[in-house]
Amino acid sequence: MNRLNVLLIDDEPERVQALKEALHSLGHHVVCQLPNTTHLNKRVEDTHPDIVIIDMDSPNRDTLESMSTMSKNNPRPIVFFAEQQNDRKTMSDAINAGVSAYISDGLQPDRVKAIMDTAIAHFDAHSSLRAELEKAKTQLADRKVIEKAKGMLMKHQGCDEKQAFETLRKLAMDRGQKLPDVAQSVIDVLELTNGLSK
Amino acid sequence: MSAPLTLEKNNLKLGFVALLDCAPLVVAREKGFFKRHGLDVVLCKESSWASIRDKVSFGLYDGAHMLAPMPLASTLGLNGNKTPMMTALALSQNGTAITLSEEFHTLLSKTIDNWEDDKLVGEQFKKQVKSSSVKPVMATVYPYSNHYYQLRYWLEQHGIDAEHDVQLIAVPPTQMIPSLSNGAIDGYCVGEPWNSLALIQKIGGLLTTGHKIWGAHTEKVLGVTQEWAAAYPNTHQALVKALYEACQWVEDINNKEELYQLLALPPYLDQAATTLSDYTPPLAMKQHFAGKQVNVPDPKQGEFILSQMLDCGQLSDADNPADFAIISRTVYRQDLFQKWVS
Repeated sequence: MNRLNVLLIDDEPERVQALKEALHSLGHHVVCQLPNTTHLNKRVEDTHPDIVIIDMDSPNRDTLESMSTMSKNNPRPIVFFAEQQNDRKTMSDAINAGVSAYISDGLQPDRVKAIMDTAIAHFDAHSSLRAELEKAKTQLADRKVIEKAKGMLMKHQGCDEKQAFETLRKLAMDRGQKLPDVAQSVIDVLELTNGLSK
Repeated sequence: MSAPLTLEKNNLKLGFVALLDCAPLVVAREKGFFKRHGLDVVLCKESSWASIRDKVSFGLYDGAHMLAPMPLASTLGLNGNKTPMMTALALSQNGTAITLSEEFHTLLSKTIDNWEDDKLVGEQFKKQVKSSSVKPVMATVYPYSNHYYQLRYWLEQHGIDAEHDVQLIAVPPTQMIPSLSNGAIDGYCVGEPWNSLALIQKIGGLLTTGHKIWGAHTEKVLGVTQEWAAAYPNTHQALVKALYEACQWVEDINNKEELYQLLALPPYLDQAATTLSDYTPPLAMKQHFAGKQVNVPDPKQGEFILSQMLDCGQLSDADNPADFAIISRTVYRQDLFQKWVS
C-alpha cells in the first residue's frame, strides 16, 4: 500500500545505485533509466511511475514536462512536484542539490517529502564525492590540462571554479568526449580567440 | 546624457539556452556592453527550459534568456511553481521553423512544386496524413513555447487534427537531429540553429517557418521575477539598456562574422555555430534582434500567447479570457521599455 513506483533518470552510476538502495530500504519499487534514450516517452508510459526523480541538468526535463500537457489523450501522468507541494524550502534545497522530481497527480505530499529528502541528501553527498573522485581518478597530466582550461574559463567567463568545471562537464556530455580532451580543445579555442573579445 | 545610475547590485548571473537567439547576452558580455553599464555578468548555460524557470524562480539566477510564453506561464503557475515574472525587453523576433525528415520531405515534393505556397503544402500534407495508416511523429521541445503553439496552429489551420492525425511528442534539442535521421521522428518545430543544421547536414527539408505561420512575433525575452525587478530597479534598467545595445550590434550585418566567432566559443554554442555563418536557409526565417518594434515587450503579443495557451487546453476554466489584457500588462512591461530605452 505504501509502496511507490519510483523512476530514476540519471547518468551517474554511483549515485543511481546509492539512491536506489536507499529508496528500496524505504520500501519503494525503483526503476532506473539512463537518460540517453529517445524512448523516454514510452518508458514513462510503461512504468507508470508515482514519482520521477531526475538530474536537474538533464535536457529530458523538458520532455517530461511536455508529456503532461501535450496530448489530451494522455491522462496527465506526472506534474512538476512544486505544483502540489507549495513547499518552497524543499524546492529550494532540491534545486541547490541539483535534483528535480515529477509526481503523479493526487499523490499525498507527505509520502513524497520523505523520498525528496532522501534524494536531496544523496545528490548533495554525491557532488562532494564526485569532486574527490575526479581528483583521484584523473592522471597528473590530464589534471594539469583540466586545471588550465578551468583557469582560462574562469578568466574568460568571470565565473567561479565550480561553474568552470560545470561548463567543461557539460561540453564533455554534449560532445560525448572525455574531460581532458574537451579541456584541451577549450584551451585551443580560447588561446586562438584571445584578443578577439574586448 | 543622464547621470549614471546608482546600481543596487553589480554582479549578476543570467541563464541561457544554447540557441542562436542567446546572441544578445553573449555579445553584451563579450563586447563589453554589460561593463559599460556597470554590470559584471556571468552567463550560465542550461540544458532545459524547466531549469531556466526554476533557477530564476528561486533566485539562483537574476534573470534569463526566456521563451516569450515563459514569464506568462510562470506568473500563472502552469506546470510549475507559481512565480510572478515579467519582461521589459524582447531579445528577438521570429526564428523558428518546421523541418521534415528528408524522406517525408521528398515524398511530399512529388506533389509540391513550390514550398512557398502554403495552401498547397497544407493540402498535400493533409492528403498524405489522411491516406497513410501510420501517423507522422512530430516533435517539439517544450509545451510553453511558440514552437509548440505554431506547430499546432499550422496543423489546425490546414484541417489536420493535432490530437488524432499526427503524434506529438517531446524531444530534447540535442536529440532532434539524430532522431530525425534515424527515423524516430518525421519532423519537428524548433528554433535556430536546429533547422539550419538539419538542412546543412541534408537530413531534413523545411516545411514552413514560424514567420510564415504567424507573421512577425516576439520569440525570446529577458525574463526576471517581479520580486527581483522591484528590489533592483536601477540594475534592471542597466541590464535592459546593455542588452538593447547588444541587440543593435547583433542585428548589424557588418558584425556577422565576429558574431559567429563569439558564438562558437566553448561556453556558448560551441561547434554548432561554426557551420552556420555562411548559410542561408531556403525559406526566410526573418529572425531579427533589433529594428522597428522588435525589442518592445508588447502586451498585445502577451495576449496573443495567452489565447494560444487557451486553444491548446493549457489554461484552466478559472482563467478568464477577459483578464488576459490585465495579466499581459503586468508581465509584458512596454511602459518600462519605453521609459528606459526610447
